[in-house]
Amino acid sequence: MTAATRTALRARVDAFTFHGESHPALRDAALSVTPGSLTAVLGGSGSGKSTLGKLLAGWLRAGHAGQFRGSLELFGTRLDFHGAPEDPRINPAEWSRRVAFVPQDAAAMLSTVRATVAEELAFGLENRATPRADMLRAVERTAARTGLSGLLDRDPATLSGGELRRLAVGCAVIAEPDILVLDEPLASLDAAGAAQIAALVRSLCGNGTGVVLLSQAADRLAGEATHWTVLDGGTVTAAGTPAQLTGSAELEHVGVLAPGSPASGAGLVAAPGFSAVSPGAAALELCRVGFGYGRPSRRRPDPPPVPRPIQVLRDVDFAVRPGEIVAVTGPNGAGKSTLLRHFNGLLRPSAGDVRVCGRSIAGVPVGTVAASVGLLFQHPRDQLFERTVLREAAFGLRQLFGKADAEDRARAALAAVGLPAAAEALHPAELSSSRQRLLALATVLAREPAVLALDEPTVGLDRHGLERLGKAVAAAAARGTAVVMVTHDLNYARATAHRILELDAGSLREI
Amino acid sequence: MTLRLHPFTALTAAVCAAVVTTAAASWPFSVAVALAAVLLAVRSGVAGRVLAAAAVIVVPLCLSLLVLHGLFFPEGHTVLAQWGPARVTAEGLAFALELGTRTTACVLVFLLFSFTVSVPDLLSALADRRIAPQFGFVLASTLTLLPAVAGRLDRIRQAQETRGMVVRGGLLSRLGTLRLQMVPLVLALMDDAGSRAQALDARGFGNPGPRTSYRDVADPPAQRRFRAAALVLTAAAVVARLVASWPGGAGS
Repeated sequence: MTAATRTALRARVDAFTFHGESHPALRDAALSVTPGSLTAVLGGSGSGKSTLGKLLAGWLRAGHAGQFRGSLELFGTRLDFHGAPEDPRINPAEWSRRVAFVPQDAAAMLSTVRATVAEELAFGLENRATPRADMLRAVERTAARTGLSGLLDRDPATLSGGELRRLAVGCAVIAEPDILVLDEPLASLDAAGAAQIAALVRSLCGNGTGVVLLSQAADRLAGEATHWTVLDGGTVTAAGTPAQLTGSAELEHVGVLAPGSPASGAGLVAAPGFSAVSPGAAALELCRVGFGYGRPSRRRPDPPPVPRPIQVLRDVDFAVRPGEIVAVTGPNGAGKSTLLRHFNGLLRPSAGDVRVCGRSIAGVPVGTVAASVGLLFQHPRDQLFERTVLREAAFGLRQLFGKADAEDRARAALAAVGLPAAAEALHPAELSSSRQRLLALATVLAREPAVLALDEPTVGLDRHGLERLGKAVAAAAARGTAVVMVTHDLNYARATAHRILELDAGSLREI
Repeated sequence: MTLRLHPFTALTAAVCAAVVTTAAASWPFSVAVALAAVLLAVRSGVAGRVLAAAAVIVVPLCLSLLVLHGLFFPEGHTVLAQWGPARVTAEGLAFALELGTRTTACVLVFLLFSFTVSVPDLLSALADRRIAPQFGFVLASTLTLLPAVAGRLDRIRQAQETRGMVVRGGLLSRLGTLRLQMVPLVLALMDDAGSRAQALDARGFGNPGPRTSYRDVADPPAQRRFRAAALVLTAAAVVARLVASWPGGAGS
């Protein structure tokens, strides 16, 4: 590709409609990418970003996944689609050699049948019959670029979220595509992980790869883009340079998080006043709790306990009183989720005691503790299992509130997080990722627990979603719920919590 | 010191052991093979898993053999006990023992193989032999399906417990909770498969052409010779068995 100024990829979407849907998921959208440029597609949850990304990268194929009218032009070769059977067909393997895509859920990128990071990186090359010597070199080079050099022999199933994201990017760039489409690449990464991905994006652009960033935050990385396209309700509402669009009404309307951080977004609900010397017993108390993976415990930890430090928690003393909001921060892999899983007994401490509402939960089944402790998992898909949104929110409410009340409470909880009645009959997997998280939150709120434990609740939420979250948490605290939230987003924690603790090397300390 | 077996060596050994056991049709031999498999499983540290899985398969099978042949064996002469049409005969019991030990030995041998084989090595070895990678993928997915399903089930159970489902130790309680987990499990696995398919397509997995392998699986000449010898000896054992039991032959 000699002409650096040539457009590498030009897409025009008149309409793209999924099979079985009556309304197009995308319409009247256009995007062009030049080699070595960074282009950001900004939009709130459900705005059609992922659909556009997958369409660009051949993951959603015309005719196969839905009806596509428009055109795709790659380095001068133009394919026109009329939504007809005789439309050109894209070979996803050939196309993704040129235009690679990294999905929002990085784990979905992996083959799951490769034993090490190195082999996972090589998987795409193997399928293209790359000679082994070339593969060895390519794996080494890609690992160095993505910061995976020290992890090549690890089992991909044991990687942390940030490492997994880097591996997914590595798998996409190892074949040296001309264009790389990244869907929310920074979501759930701590500052160090995000910085690594941002540096990687810069180096890719520097080497001539055109990068398309799909994001619901106009963050620092998006700010480096030469061009922004704003998607709202499946269509482009604005396009221009960051300088032209920053603070624009279109960005505001679609719920894109403003530059800086979620905390600076309007509408965040500050924690209701709370006096540190409030009387009354703690709703949740951890007394000298210690925990390590690989010790006898009733539960097997979710990620297999391979190469992490054995002792995750040491002598943790911690108490939260009714109405108090405490934020826990710390780097990826520090054991924040492990800490939360002790609150309801999903993990049991190897030393010390966990007390909920004054009573020890040792030996008490998780399902019984659940009446007092609500836990929001880090990944909504780990939390959601029912067939419809309403059934999801109503699960387990009968035992708490009786048959008559259960459904009303479920509906009220759905309304409280802003899920419309029209969504009640949908399957949870049909919701956008932001709505899935809000649904997961509703399932926890509906139970009105005394202790609310939230694991990374802000990840994947657009500004509208963050506002709902903030209101719901503040309302729960006002009712006297003790809230503990784990978040890597220090600004959000500062804006909403009464106290911030950092988990590092197994110990909690106030910051 | 452990000898690293090429997956084909382990597979050949398992197949040959099963074939020879079947051909030998002698319960002491079957018991010896089963014991050897258990011993190897203990040495490889997979005894618990192998025996648990074997119990699930073998116990119902042996019970049904016992009922079927122990009580209703038409050729039986030596009647040990009789209740109406049901007769316990020595021949019937011997036949059930024969069949039961043989099946147990074969099941143990194949479970030992599937719990000890390195799936990536096996896939890589298959790819080297130019066997369609889709076949290898299905094989690998099958071998890794159980852990994947167990992991998924565990996550669903945790989500349900977190929302008030109480799991107690009793069998009935466990069965009751399992019933609640089946539909979510199937839906979740299908959802996983759908999203995985797009990624596999994009990474060229559906390509028809030749492939290469990143993983280098050592196949020492000694193991090649062992495989050849095992196959020849097994074939000889089968032939010997056929000749021996041929009507009018040496007789067994």
